Amino acid sequence: MTSESVIETEGLSKVFGRQRALDNVSLKVLPGSIGLLGPNGAGKSTFMKCLLQLQPITAGSAKLLGREVGREGRDIRKRVGYAPEQNCHIPGMAGCEYVTYCAQLSGLPFQAARQRAHEMLDFVGMSQERYRKIDTYSTGMKQRLKLAQAMVHDPEIIFLDEPTNGLDPKGQAQILELVQSLWRTYGITVVLSSHLLHDVEQVCEQIIIIARGRVLVHDSLASLKARRRGAAEVVLARGHDALQAACRGRNWPCDLLPNGHLRIEHGAETLNPLLTLMHELHLPPLEIIPSPNALEETFVQALEISHAAA
Amino acid sequence: MPLHDAHYQHWTGEHTSLWHRRRVIAQNGLSSCLRTKALRMIMSVCWVSALVMAGFLFALGQLLVQDSMMEHWVAQMNPQLQSFFEVLRSWLQYHPEISVGTTQNVLFYFYCIYLMPLSFFALGMTLPALITRDLASNAIVIYSSKAVTRFDYLLGKFCTAFGVLALTWLGPVCAAWFVGNLLAPDWTFFWHARIALMHALIFGLSSMVILSVMALGVSAFSSREKATPALWFTWWALGLAIQPIALHTLPWLRHVSFGYNLRQIALATFQLGRDLKTAEDSIPIFGDMLKHVPRETRAALDNPTLAGALLGLALMLLAAGLILRKRVAPE
Repeated sequence: MTSESVIETEGLSKVFGRQRALDNVSLKVLPGSIGLLGPNGAGKSTFMKCLLQLQPITAGSAKLLGREVGREGRDIRKRVGYAPEQNCHIPGMAGCEYVTYCAQLSGLPFQAARQRAHEMLDFVGMSQERYRKIDTYSTGMKQRLKLAQAMVHDPEIIFLDEPTNGLDPKGQAQILELVQSLWRTYGITVVLSSHLLHDVEQVCEQIIIIARGRVLVHDSLASLKARRRGAAEVVLARGHDALQAACRGRNWPCDLLPNGHLRIEHGAETLNPLLTLMHELHLPPLEIIPSPNALEETFVQALEISHAAA
Repeated sequence: MPLHDAHYQHWTGEHTSLWHRRRVIAQNGLSSCLRTKALRMIMSVCWVSALVMAGFLFALGQLLVQDSMMEHWVAQMNPQLQSFFEVLRSWLQYHPEISVGTTQNVLFYFYCIYLMPLSFFALGMTLPALITRDLASNAIVIYSSKAVTRFDYLLGKFCTAFGVLALTWLGPVCAAWFVGNLLAPDWTFFWHARIALMHALIFGLSSMVILSVMALGVSAFSSREKATPALWFTWWALGLAIQPIALHTLPWLRHVSFGYNLRQIALATFQLGRDLKTAEDSIPIFGDMLKHVPRETRAALDNPTLAGALLGLALMLLAAGLILRKRVAPE
């Protein structure tokens, strides 16, 4: 692990005809698990593609893993993995053949490529289906295969574009768990692009919010949550009414949510006033979720500011 | 099966060279092409024809040996042919470059021309496996995200097309030349037939380069598997249909046909007109035989329209290059 920036952009812009997909993006991103958030068409995929040189940059400069994008393409891509959003495979190949081939394209000798391919297919949870033609795979299998081909050459950074699209809840959970382990356990930087806040919140430590081609927010998830302190969700076994009444007495807005949780805006930086109140009422909480929906609120607020500015 | 049964392991080996990665692309493309049954059938025809050609050269060699079985057989069949080979035999002692070299030059010209349509057909059948399927399945994005560039990808695919042509065209030609001369009565046949091989190599290699680039262009024209072979075969058929019509109306229109253009290059490379003139002047019996060849045919052999053919092919290559530039991109 290194403290040097893995991604560095300066005035990065990308224009398609009259549309500005990326507008003067300047960033320094440290290694870690990075969530790229934004609504559809915000410029997330374009940002990734510009870094990977799948799209030429219109203006500005970018560095990936300390190397200039556009000059050292092959060398950069040897150290980078990419799982695109759309289905991309080589027709007529079986899953293990395909991943082996991808490893060879990244510079692994055949023997090592074949061995790594099987290891990665095990890692993403594919068993005997690896010997079947890719054309017969379900969406979930194709997503796993995309992940395997992105990791097969042991990259230092992996770009994942909407990796949970088309997966059932169980599959989503498995893939997110796996992606999470890449940084936390194996030290591989992950850039996860998604419009699903839950996915990003579960996996990522750093958040970049993009809208209309501009970076609106770039901060750690912890900092974003800290900005949203002053609210909490409380799960109680009993005494909902008593707590609601006590909150009203202190002028703390309090709502009973459909899931039975109480959302309380206590306005303090810490949970202490809320805990003191509950102690006074003899109401032991089953669970307290501090700063719930912090990411969602930050995301919505950032989008509102962006719309207002436009 | 639960995830993380197998733990992730880092890889610490040496990366392969760029040329190795390019070779991997070519190799994969070629093995994908060879899965096409039609291609395997055409290849079989080409290699069987190489054996036939080698057998023919063996028979020809035997005719140049006095009192061989072949000579007796030909004598029984056609006395005129026997005297023709007697003359060739006598020339073998004094002018072997004519009796062996010129004869093989003419034979290999016809053999190359015979294999040409088979190669066109083989190439047409493999077009979907070159670029078309990659466009259809977005595989270009995967290639572009690996340690290869668009140029590397195209070079690999070029080698695939070149490989297909080598297996159906130049391979059989070289094999026929080698085996035919190996079975000849004298080792010096290899030396005397060197010009024929050189002409075949020059024509074969240049045609294969041109055809491979054109095939890549056509293959990248559409992402529909049936569209690209259809385009190739239509273009080929159109060229064949135009030639006789254009001959008496707009002769330049013949250069629309890549087959016609390549035949002009073959005539210029093998210098068939010059060979026939030499044979005609040197072997009187051969001169008598050639009297019946129409004047237009002789003129066409003597003066192939090389400039027009080169211009036509250059325009086709330019078009292929533009298609590749536009179509073979990640998005």
